[in-house]
Amino acid sequence: MSQPPDQAGFENELDELRAKVDSLAAQLAQEYKMASLGRLLASIVHEINSPIGSILSNNQVVLRSLELVKSALGSGDAAALAKASRLVETCLSLTAVDKIACERIAEVVRGMKTFARADSSEARKVDLNEQLQDTLKLTQGEFRQRIQVETDWGEIPQVECHASMLNQVFLNILVNAGQAIEGQGKITVRTRHEGESVHISIADNGPGIKPENRSKIFAGGFTTKAVGVGTGLGLALSKKIVEETHGGSLYFESEMGVGTTFHILVPVEQKNKAAV
Amino acid sequence: MIEKATVLIVDDEEMVITSVRAYLELETNFEVHGFTEPEQAVKFLEGNQVDICVSDYLMPRMSGIQFLTRAKHLQPEATRVLLTGHADKQSAIQAINEVNLYQYVEKPWENAQLLLIIQSGVERAQLMRELQATMSELASANSSLKDVQKKLLKAFL
Repeated sequence: MSQPPDQAGFENELDELRAKVDSLAAQLAQEYKMASLGRLLASIVHEINSPIGSILSNNQVVLRSLELVKSALGSGDAAALAKASRLVETCLSLTAVDKIACERIAEVVRGMKTFARADSSEARKVDLNEQLQDTLKLTQGEFRQRIQVETDWGEIPQVECHASMLNQVFLNILVNAGQAIEGQGKITVRTRHEGESVHISIADNGPGIKPENRSKIFAGGFTTKAVGVGTGLGLALSKKIVEETHGGSLYFESEMGVGTTFHILVPVEQKNKAAV
Repeated sequence: MIEKATVLIVDDEEMVITSVRAYLELETNFEVHGFTEPEQAVKFLEGNQVDICVSDYLMPRMSGIQFLTRAKHLQPEATRVLLTGHADKQSAIQAINEVNLYQYVEKPWENAQLLLIIQSGVERAQLMRELQATMSELASANSSLKDVQKKLLKAFL
């Protein structure tokens, strides 16, 4: 027995609308990615500038020192030899600094690759612990010394998802947490496997979200930040990405004077395999 | 002629201080004091005279501008230089008048340029101090001359 014609038509329309919503979500995600990347650019550029400056300077000092050492060794003069051995010590410690500087740059570049990767049209399986670690690297510039980040990585299976979209959600919540905390503070990131989903929680010990704002948090355009700092799009888009694109859930709990925790639940497998 | 000079460097990155110090110690006989904590640098300034303060702009607890403002109050004749990333150039430019910034240097810096700026900054600070000293000497010499003049006039009247 075939279905009555209007039911089939209705289902087709529903599929079309679903596809449209997914594609709009992807567009918004792309635009928000540009905006949030721009905002992080200042701290990323600063992160790279210091190690590069050090490496360039050290390279020059080591070259010059080696020339001096070469001529001192040639002269055989006692005072010159003593100076030469001091210069060698300096070169050794500068070379050690260069190694750290190069590692720092490589880390920042690795963190940025998460955003540079083109959004694939289909969900693929990723390790969310790794993704969160990469995203955390991008916050190092803003958080360093002011905010302590504690991590608690649970044993979680690979999750079928759009990794770069979820990374934006994580980044958005992390940056919000950092901005909420005045002065020194702590952010705790925890992952757990719960049934058919992976549960990620990001907790801060900031002042908490005021009760009168709690219902508006996920509304597009709502922001408590100064003009130019926040666009008010972040959490609205994050909710769309988690709930509509991934079929998961995004919610929070908050206590004034204690802090706020955001919970992200992402299903391990995508039931709706529609392309984004 | 530059006498033995004292350079103060503040940057939350240890590697920047290590690199600049190594370079200055190779090329000059300047005494270099580096601090990753601006508060400690301020304490140092309270008890020790420096010729030049070089500070990073973006630091966690105190910005370079805030630090140089305190440096200006503690030692106004010491020269003030800001190290900035490209992104904070605008803020550096605004600071030029606020803290009487002598120069700003963009990161990543070029050693030769940094050296020239530090050398001329040190020279400037030492000339300023010499000028202050000479002016006070002149002022006191002037007032003793005035005293002598008064006494002479009294003697004649």
